[in-house]
Amino acid sequence: MENRSKLLRLTLIYTLVFVLLFPLLVLVIWAFTGSWPWPNLLPQSWTLEGWKYFLNPVNGALEALKTSFLIGLGVTILSLIISIPAGKALGIYDFPGKEIIKILVLAPIIVPPLAVTLGIHINFIKFGLSDSMMGVIIVHLIPTIPYSIRILTHVFEGVGNKLEAQAQVLGASMWQRFIHVTLPLIYPGIFSAGIMVFIVSFSQYFLTFLIGGGQVVTFPMVLFPLVNSGDRMLAAVYSLVFILAALIFTLIMERLFKSGDERSDHFYL
Amino acid sequence: MWKRRSLWEPYLLLLPALVVLGGLFVGGVVLGVAQSFGYFPLLGLKEFTLKYYTEILSSSEFLDALGYSLYISIISSVVAVVLGVFLAYQLAKLPKKHSIVKLIYKLPIIVPHIIATLLVFLFFTQSGLLSRILYNLGLIEQLESFPALVFDKQGIGIIFVYLWKEIPFVALITYTVLKHINTSFEEVAANLGANHRQIFWHIYLPLSLPSIGSAFIIVFAFSFGAFEIPFLLGPTYPKTLPVMAYQKYISSDLMQRPYAMVIAVVLTLICVALIYLYKKSIDLVLRYN
Repeated sequence: MENRSKLLRLTLIYTLVFVLLFPLLVLVIWAFTGSWPWPNLLPQSWTLEGWKYFLNPVNGALEALKTSFLIGLGVTILSLIISIPAGKALGIYDFPGKEIIKILVLAPIIVPPLAVTLGIHINFIKFGLSDSMMGVIIVHLIPTIPYSIRILTHVFEGVGNKLEAQAQVLGASMWQRFIHVTLPLIYPGIFSAGIMVFIVSFSQYFLTFLIGGGQVVTFPMVLFPLVNSGDRMLAAVYSLVFILAALIFTLIMERLFKSGDERSDHFYL
Repeated sequence: MWKRRSLWEPYLLLLPALVVLGGLFVGGVVLGVAQSFGYFPLLGLKEFTLKYYTEILSSSEFLDALGYSLYISIISSVVAVVLGVFLAYQLAKLPKKHSIVKLIYKLPIIVPHIIATLLVFLFFTQSGLLSRILYNLGLIEQLESFPALVFDKQGIGIIFVYLWKEIPFVALITYTVLKHINTSFEEVAANLGANHRQIFWHIYLPLSLPSIGSAFIIVFAFSFGAFEIPFLLGPTYPKTLPVMAYQKYISSDLMQRPYAMVIAVVLTLICVALIYLYKKSIDLVLRYN
């Protein structure tokens, strides 16, 4: 009985995981497909044309990838600068208005960014921020900041204020306290938040499209028309590069900045 | 001195975040509302009017879009939460040697929605993989007998994208919570003769309910406000609200913009109502525990 339910559980879980991952395998196959007429189950011919097209600088794919990385890094740095003090305030202090601010911080996850961006677009134009990379970086803060503040609030709740207070008693200045006491303590949280922000910014299509006005060409901007036009092979190549880039970035960050036992999920909300 | 500083310190620390959230988020909402009431100086409109609301709210195009959006979001979020919680519970019970599963099930979370959309094209179009498999199994005779699962009025393709992205997301949130639940509850219950099902329904589910609730809200709000997926996979009619808002917004006829804003405000209101309901229900649940 015990064995049967265990077997059933493993079957179910592997089925579900298979359903979630099998599409990605098919994506890999499509990226090398020359021709694959219906109703064949496997391609008839294989090709590297898509990859050649991707690597050819004339088509601008690498340039778009670079733009995406730069914007992602800019957004990550900016949102961390904003979120570290905010996380500290929400994680450590009790003060009037805290609950309202907590709701305000989470609201952009719930209220569709599309609705907010349509409203504010006109001011981006007025301040000369539309059609520019700076404008895109700023608008990406809307969907990313809630996650980074949320994660850092959790971290500060766990870390507390005691060690910093001790350092202060011992005469450490504000900067010394931050660099030598707080920073080492919240380090894992900073990178969890950073990865999350980067991934959200990296996958952003609509905000980039609206505020960038087609002038700021990120990777999703070149991918979108390919998916839309139905060029499956090329779209698969671009998608694969996209996933690999995000994955490699995440893995490098994890390896570089976290020790094994700290590598837990900080995605939770 | 320490005491006095503590008083304003949290506000000072929050200042950058509040400036950004206030300027961008609140600013965007306020401007959207103003424009939806017809305050549009750029177009020479300065009169406050309810005209755009009454026109939009009574148009059948809008009502169909509202129904279609709600239908897609409710179906996909409910199914994603049920399957996601199930997956999380199974993952928590998984023996150590299968722990690779715990790593790879998260992969769809970092895959952008545009790519998930492409996957649906690869599988569910009439020449997609599913129809090939059915043909080879002898279940369909020709390409045309495969039902249209993209650009369809049932929104099947769109729902599949959300499910594929959101089941792992819900599972991740729930799993993290389940992992932190004290196992001694389970041991006590098992000692007292509770079976697996009872342990799940009476211990794990109630304790993880608040997180499951917030996961539901997040996936619902996301699918309700998403643009790319229904734009790429949806039928020409009915549209979802975000697609309709966008198309009114980019229309060369600038007088359409206030209508776009009305739709944006409706989107916002429904999502805010959702948070409110969620807060209320959590309070209610906690009161009875």
